[in-house]
Amino acid sequence: MAEPCPRCGTTVPGERCPQCGLVIALYHASLEKMRRGPSAAVGIVAPVSRAPEPPPPSGPAGFRPPAPAGATPIPAMIRRLQFHGSPGSLFGIQAINVLLTLLTLGVYYFWGKARIRSYLLGQSELERDRFAYHGTGRELFVGFLKGLVVFGVPFLVLSVLPAVYGAPDPVTKSLSRLLWLLGLLLVPVAMVGSRRYRLSRTSWRGIRFSFRGSMREFVGLFVVGSVLTSLTLGIYYPVFVTKQQAFMISHSYFGSRKFDFDGRGRSLIGAFLGMIVLFLPTVGLSWFWFSARRHRFFTEHTRFGTTRFRSTVGGARLAWLQISNIVAIVLTLGLAWPWTVVRSQHFYFRYVTLEGPLDVSDVQQDARPASATGEGLAGLLDADFGVS
Amino acid sequence: MAVSGARVWDAAYLDGRTPRRRPARIMIGGEGLEISLTEDGGSLRWPLREIRQTQGFYPGEQVRLERGTMGEALLIADVAFLTALRAAVPEAARGFHDPARRRWQASVAVGAVLAALVVSLALYFWGIPALAGVAADHVPVSWEVALGESAVARLAPPSRRCLDPPRQRRIDEIVTVLLRTLPERRYPFQVAIVDHPMVNAFATPGGFIVIFRGLLDRTENAEELAGVLAHEIQHVLHRHATRAILRHASTGVLLAALLGDVSGVVAFGAETARALGDLRHSREAEHEADRDGMLMLHAARIDPQGMLAFFQAMQRTEGTSGTAVRYLSTHPPAGDRLQALATLAAQGSHPTIKLLPTYDWTDIRQLCASHHR
Repeated sequence: MAEPCPRCGTTVPGERCPQCGLVIALYHASLEKMRRGPSAAVGIVAPVSRAPEPPPPSGPAGFRPPAPAGATPIPAMIRRLQFHGSPGSLFGIQAINVLLTLLTLGVYYFWGKARIRSYLLGQSELERDRFAYHGTGRELFVGFLKGLVVFGVPFLVLSVLPAVYGAPDPVTKSLSRLLWLLGLLLVPVAMVGSRRYRLSRTSWRGIRFSFRGSMREFVGLFVVGSVLTSLTLGIYYPVFVTKQQAFMISHSYFGSRKFDFDGRGRSLIGAFLGMIVLFLPTVGLSWFWFSARRHRFFTEHTRFGTTRFRSTVGGARLAWLQISNIVAIVLTLGLAWPWTVVRSQHFYFRYVTLEGPLDVSDVQQDARPASATGEGLAGLLDADFGVS
Repeated sequence: MAVSGARVWDAAYLDGRTPRRRPARIMIGGEGLEISLTEDGGSLRWPLREIRQTQGFYPGEQVRLERGTMGEALLIADVAFLTALRAAVPEAARGFHDPARRRWQASVAVGAVLAALVVSLALYFWGIPALAGVAADHVPVSWEVALGESAVARLAPPSRRCLDPPRQRRIDEIVTVLLRTLPERRYPFQVAIVDHPMVNAFATPGGFIVIFRGLLDRTENAEELAGVLAHEIQHVLHRHATRAILRHASTGVLLAALLGDVSGVVAFGAETARALGDLRHSREAEHEADRDGMLMLHAARIDPQGMLAFFQAMQRTEGTSGTAVRYLSTHPPAGDRLQALATLAAQGSHPTIKLLPTYDWTDIRQLCASHHR
């Protein structure tokens, strides 16, 4: 009587799936109901679309055959990422990380960071295969030290020396302005460096991701975008962030195959202006609304071969997630951090889908080397530029 | 099933060249893992010492074994494989996770939290102050002077200082009398009077003492000001500010280690806790400066009643008037502090000398009268 669970693919010994708690008979019954007419199906749509039919290991074939003619089409080619992590495990990792970081006077921090990333990626699954993280604490530590030597020390020297040697006021002032500009240049350097490093250390089915965008090009884009944004009093901002996203996505690769991004930032300008107008009346809540809109826009314009991404994240839900996360962290003095991370991961995986055939059979391994110096710089700038 | 007791494990094989997941079967042999690819045929042997386990440490997670650097991997769903591996090849199993240890994971986590708490409290109450003390003793005087200069340039810019060389000279004379009691002069002490009604004074690292006009106006005689100066000189000599800066920085590192990348809101709360902690240390520093300042007055044969009288007057006025009088509140007030001062003041046995006997103090304290902004 053992059959694979239609939702998560685990072998089900009895009637109920031990993995996701799905009752098989009920599931088939509701599926049947749904075929008969859309009116009865409202509550069922979500679980169905959340259940990608696991195809056999190779090829695009193996999807549920289309529903009989005349019936409501079932979105069979929809896939979702799954997250298996638990707050408990993450809490255990973090507790040991904090202890060892204290005992080693901070050095273990980098190893701890690598363990957290490894856990989060290892618990993320697509098409029955989990992602893997290959970065090490040693790399992060060396990257941090290099970032410190290459960028941090000159910065510190230039900002402290004039004060120590009592340079005249105009000199100190123009120097600090220059440093501020240099600091602005370091942001794009860190963004590209960090993405290059992280993608190069991420794999799925043994194939590494990579980032091949040119640093110089991105710095140029960033400087021009920053200038235009300030000249237009912020109106250019949506175009600017879209250009950044386009650069980041369209130079990202899975093995030998590229991701594509085809969004134009002007589509976001309306939403952005609306957000600004409503910012004060909504006590800032309109920001979440814009943030969700931007997330949907970025996701929906991302393609990987024949696969399109889609997101249904809503502003209210996003606001609830982020505000309640902050409240939980504050109330528990940070102890709830693992819970908020796992929760956020579940949140995004619930609303982001992959649509269309996912055929990776012609993808070849094509890994690129990447150093962790940019990552170290990102750490120095105290910025965490997430990889999405 | 294969030979006597040797179990066959279902697995998937990734060759690291294509994203194809190939079904495979694994047997644990004496020399390593014997892998047969069920669909394509073919077999592989992985020596155990070349294998790394990279996943399969947590409940529900598949076991992932990797070999080489470029993605060749075996995925085994059944975690019992690890137990079987340990049983079959105990000497090679050290690099692999032991599922039997999972039941301890929760208690290890709780233990780690408690241990982290103990370690951070120990660091906070003992480790960091001790470390800051040792480090402060090794900071070169020239660094302190540079630091003090930049602080004074900001807090008491030249444009706001009262410049009256004849009267300033009298105040410098008091400082000279006090410094004469020291065996060596490590700091180039310098007093600046700032034209501001606030009743306060402070010292920066490196020997800069800043007195606000409000405080000078309230001194009844040179001995009272000498008390304030002796107190501030002791702050410099004990390197209290330098210590506080070092302590503040290392507490920041401790907090970063504890909170990691946690959001800014928590960081704000932590900052408040840190400020409260600084206050505790500053109280100790004040006591030290009171005590050694008083001893300095004794050594210089200055009447200690001046310092006592001034501090008592400060306590009285702070009780009544609100805003401008800050001397004792940044220099925390307490009845027992004055009590301790009175006891120390009474211990002086030498006859005292009169400071600036030929000058009129009410004239000297008019130092800022000629200053116009």
